[in-house]
Amino acid sequence: MTTHPTPALISRYAAGADGVDDATVWAVEAHLESCAACRALLTGAVDPGTRDLLDRVADGIAAGITAGPAPAPRRRLRRTGVAVRVLPWLAVAAGLVLAAVLFELTFHSLPSLVLLVAPVAPLLPVAAAWSRRTDPAWELLATVPRAGLWLLLRRTLAVLAAVVPILAVAGWWTGHSPALWLLPCLAFTAGSLALGGLVRVDRAALALVALWSGAVVIPSLAGDRLPAVLSAGSWPGWVAVTVVLVAVVAFRAADHRRLGAGQI
Amino acid sequence: MRRSLAEVDEGELLRRIARRDRRAFDELYRRTSPWLTVRLRRRCADPDVVADVLQETYLAVWRSAGSQAHASAGGSALGWLWTIAAHRLVDAFRHRARQQRVPTVPTFETVAPAAEEEALAGGIDADLEQALLALPPELRQVLRAMVLDGLTTRETSLLLGMPEGTVKTRARRARIALRRALS
Amino acid sequence: MMRAVSAAEIAPTTHAWAVHAEKLVVRAGRHLAVNGLDLALDTGVHGLLGPNGAGKTTLMRALATVVKPAGGRLSVLGVDVTGRGDLRRMRRGLGYLPQHFGFYPRFTVREFVEYMAWLKEMPKSDIPGAVQRAIDRVGLTDRADSRMKTLSGGMLRRAGIAQAIVNDPRVLLLDEPTVGLDPEQRLDFRELLRDIGSDSCVLVSTHLVEDVAAACTDVVLVNAGRLVWQGTTAELAGRGGADAAGDSATERGYSALLRAHRGQVSA
Repeated sequence: MTTHPTPALISRYAAGADGVDDATVWAVEAHLESCAACRALLTGAVDPGTRDLLDRVADGIAAGITAGPAPAPRRRLRRTGVAVRVLPWLAVAAGLVLAAVLFELTFHSLPSLVLLVAPVAPLLPVAAAWSRRTDPAWELLATVPRAGLWLLLRRTLAVLAAVVPILAVAGWWTGHSPALWLLPCLAFTAGSLALGGLVRVDRAALALVALWSGAVVIPSLAGDRLPAVLSAGSWPGWVAVTVVLVAVVAFRAADHRRLGAGQI
Repeated sequence: MRRSLAEVDEGELLRRIARRDRRAFDELYRRTSPWLTVRLRRRCADPDVVADVLQETYLAVWRSAGSQAHASAGGSALGWLWTIAAHRLVDAFRHRARQQRVPTVPTFETVAPAAEEEALAGGIDADLEQALLALPPELRQVLRAMVLDGLTTRETSLLLGMPEGTVKTRARRARIALRRALS
Repeated sequence: MMRAVSAAEIAPTTHAWAVHAEKLVVRAGRHLAVNGLDLALDTGVHGLLGPNGAGKTTLMRALATVVKPAGGRLSVLGVDVTGRGDLRRMRRGLGYLPQHFGFYPRFTVREFVEYMAWLKEMPKSDIPGAVQRAIDRVGLTDRADSRMKTLSGGMLRRAGIAQAIVNDPRVLLLDEPTVGLDPEQRLDFRELLRDIGSDSCVLVSTHLVEDVAAACTDVVLVNAGRLVWQGTTAELAGRGGADAAGDSATERGYSALLRAHRGQVSA
């Protein structure tokens, strides 16, 4: 705004109560908050009593500054408490994928270990990211407004952002089509979030790992063939499953307001 | 060539204070403390409370300038300064209310606006000004605390020494009256 | 700068109590730690007393919305926590310090309280000022930028209190907040509690009857998951007969009421 209060008005405002009505005071105060020039005028217009007060306060501040802590330097990057603790599990997942690649390249007769491991590779870090054991502030997290699907997604997507490139490299190295390792991976991640609305997310993720290992991985290694669900034409099924699970997660978003799902 | 400190704006002063620049802090104090004091004195008649609030406010600025410079990159340094001071003022009222040493809130008589004040400072227009003046002072008081000073209903109730329910009722009445006056 | 005041903010409060529990049942594992508890709390500092295993911590966790109750009704700030109330909005007005307070060791106190303020969805520009204020109120100004792993037990506890009060909660739940505090710090803490209790509902669970006697306006005594007694500290002190155990009037009142309740329960 280009209209300023007159210097006389500013002086009257600075002097205290007399002579300025409430609405004018309001307008002056609203203006002063954003106008440095008028504030400078005000600085010149204060009475001696106020000036003394300001000097006394300045002394007190000086004492406080010498006695107290200095301003802390601001870190550029936001510190994360949980990421550090999830890293070991990311390393485990990476190691699993790497081992799967090496096995597959060495033992050509075995069914593709990379494809068998891919769906559950991110689930261990996801379980870790949301587990009471790895997040020391879990109890506090359970009480905050931000606890919910959004926070859960942030951490899950961070895990995926770390795991998917590793899987991509593994998939390229062993010559598998991306649909066959990416889609099951996404489907299982969405599944652990969806199931996590009922039981805790970490339990859901671990349950899915156990289920997949027992129902698919071990039989196919024993039977020496790739299961039907991972065959070349299965990817439309995986797309459908992923879409349905993502819809379930979105629809049941309110379930994630409570981290513990009612259990301790 | 370095600009003199007088040409630096308050936001930049804050950034320098975050880097422990004592001269920048003194300059910020010089420029903003009169404004802050005058504004505080219009909410609290006790000069000791005002002095304490000022001291705590600027010490808080010194100590947390680093975080603030980062968080309010677009916002107003003065808005932030006022918010800190207002919260400390409410804390002082809260503390003293418990001990029955309630600092008084100065109440001023409504004075008829002088002729030369028609073209007002930017921020509110003539209609709003008339409407505000038409409000009973107790409604205006609540509105000022909430709208201009940015306090919540709880904080307003502590500052003005009235139950929160009363604050809310008066705020609603003020709203209705203003809407009627401005329509 | 001018702030827009929403209609919701100035609408009259519809709830009578800040915390209202009716026949509340909460499980801890398989055990019913809270078993038919009735409680009504409003503004003020309320002390939660009771023997070990009385269900105090479980009650706090239920109020803080960490655990969902298994039965009964619980409303906090007017929001039905047992049903499908809007937890998010209500949680913005909550502050909680758990008994076993977990923290990130490499965070500084300031960073931790800022992180919690962010999690509580405080407006971003308000956070630095609110964090400094919370740190000053608990007396950790000098250690605000030290890493949490370098803090003593009492300082950690105070950092926990700081994160609980950073958002000026209307309901503040503190589970054993004075553990590790030296007597002078406990005095300061009681002053802080009294200040906060003038316009919020504070529930302090403590083993130290003297903390309760000094800072609390109201005492809630629980045993075996049920409410035994609720009243002022003066009334509690008046309940102890000459033969009751305890070194102070409050302790005598406490043990007398507890014994009477145990007698009733086993009869």
